[in-house]
Amino acid sequence: MSTTTLTPDGLTAAPDLADILPPRKARGKIMMFIYRYPTIAAGGAMLSIILAIAIFAPLLWTVDPTALAPAKRTRFPSEQYWFGTDMLGRDVYSRVLYGARISLIVGFSVATLASVLGMLVGVCSGFIRWLDAIIMRVIDGMMSIPGILLAIALMALTRASVQTVVIAITVAEVPRVSRLVRGVVLSLREQPYVEAAIASGTRVPKIIFKHILPNTMAPIIVQATFICASAMLTEATLSFIGAGTPPTIPSWGNIMAEGRALWQVKPYIVFFPAIFLSVTVLAVNLLGDGLRDALDPRLAKKV
Amino acid sequence: MFAYILRRIMATIPVMAVVALFVFSLLYIAPGDPAAIIAGDQATPADVERIRASLGLDRPFLIRFGDWLWHVLNGDLGTSIFTNLPVTHMIAQRVQPTFSLMVLTLTIALSLAIPMGVLAAWKHGTWIDRVVMIFAVLGFSLPVFVVGYLLAYTFALQLDMFPVQGYTPFEDGFGKWLGNLVLPAVALAGVYMALIARITRATMLEVLNQDYVRTARAKGVGQRAILFVHALKNAAVPIVTIVGIGFASLIGGAVVTESVFAIPGLGRLVVDAILRRDYPVIQGVVLMFSFVYVIVNLLVDLLYTVFDPRIRY
Repeated sequence: MSTTTLTPDGLTAAPDLADILPPRKARGKIMMFIYRYPTIAAGGAMLSIILAIAIFAPLLWTVDPTALAPAKRTRFPSEQYWFGTDMLGRDVYSRVLYGARISLIVGFSVATLASVLGMLVGVCSGFIRWLDAIIMRVIDGMMSIPGILLAIALMALTRASVQTVVIAITVAEVPRVSRLVRGVVLSLREQPYVEAAIASGTRVPKIIFKHILPNTMAPIIVQATFICASAMLTEATLSFIGAGTPPTIPSWGNIMAEGRALWQVKPYIVFFPAIFLSVTVLAVNLLGDGLRDALDPRLAKKV
Repeated sequence: MFAYILRRIMATIPVMAVVALFVFSLLYIAPGDPAAIIAGDQATPADVERIRASLGLDRPFLIRFGDWLWHVLNGDLGTSIFTNLPVTHMIAQRVQPTFSLMVLTLTIALSLAIPMGVLAAWKHGTWIDRVVMIFAVLGFSLPVFVVGYLLAYTFALQLDMFPVQGYTPFEDGFGKWLGNLVLPAVALAGVYMALIARITRATMLEVLNQDYVRTARAKGVGQRAILFVHALKNAAVPIVTIVGIGFASLIGGAVVTESVFAIPGLGRLVVDAILRRDYPVIQGVVLMFSFVYVIVNLLVDLLYTVFDPRIRY
């Protein structure tokens, strides 16, 4: 590979790309990865820890997060109750650890659902001209309603459950993804290789699945991480103001909502879930920033 | 120019129409029977029927929508199920605290975030740049209510510098009004500042590489003049765009901030309405905030011509 090729008239051609890039053995190593993508590594590590906490919550010295113990209510953090107890005597440590499950479920479900639906709407909008005008008007309108208010309005009309929270936040997020995908599709349609595919008689479904969709993946993945972070924040916010996950389920927003009345005297009930929520959202945001820099070199080191 | 303004104003009409249609049809597309859910678990069948009739769910969709739209256009947002007061009346009572909070937040965010972004772009790659970027990531990640509680705990409870909660009307004295609003405004400004600082830095980096900046530097223009006159003016269009788009997060954040600091504004109105399942109030506030959001972005569009004379219509 590294031998310089000679053209017929004796001129040297440019060397192959492999010679310019760093040696292969240096790549793929963990240290190298951390050095090249510090934000992905940091965000990924933090998120893995939270994920492990959520999965192994029952094994991490927790008790039943819904078990009431009225005699032991509002105890300060101690050796027995690491994060203290709330006004019904429930163990805040156990509730916060189990709460990670709700946040992650909501975050991941909304990110997946919104990406898939947004992709569908975006591709339809980018390919079907007459539909495009209608879809874009609807999206313009939906994006004019601040996301949280849209979710509040939806939640007021349905019985609260984790599913309805996921649906409400997804509805608020889909327009953003749709618009992103539509933009990418429209610019890809003008690419010479797509024109060539059309000219050579490739059928539309094949163009969409083989030539368009794979190229929308990078921006969608980046967008999905940010949607995941924003969905976690929205869920916590909705629960905090009483329009989210039902109060019987320990989610970080619910724990904070319950601690609200007492926060001036027992601030720990609010602060422990707050710390976990902030760290989790920070982890996902770092991951998103890193992925954007890695997948879109044009934006790297800029935004 | 006048024709352009007129055209832009006309263009917001279909957007508002879609918003109205969407907010209205939520009642119909929600799974289950909204009348039963709004009535609550202890409601009798008669209660459910009463609510169904008051929401107009017993009449055909299009007739009901036309009727509702006509009332909205005449400034009637319906009547609250809980208090039986007109929704417009309830909104009008709550406008001042929310408006004050938003104005103060905007002032804080713009006056801090833009210099931060400019500084980060100027000192690109140094520790100053890094600090601003870390601040931006934190601003995106810390929920408004977490920042709110932290500020209230530190500056109100421990240091006793500001009142913990509440709101004093503007008429009762500027100092008191400001003292009550400083902490909520700073808490609310976080996300917005992160957004603006980021975009300012990114656009400034691009602009500072332009030939005219090099020319200005070559002819001896001072650093401050280059940054704030030559560069910032050319970076203004993306910045005002994000100020307009980010306004949505300001509205969403205000709802929560008002809960944390017990400010009797529109956010509290919505939160109370949720707990009482007072749908007409929720509908009215959502519609009004969306209207404000559309107007803000309309103003942003019109500002483009001020910042960039090349944009002519």
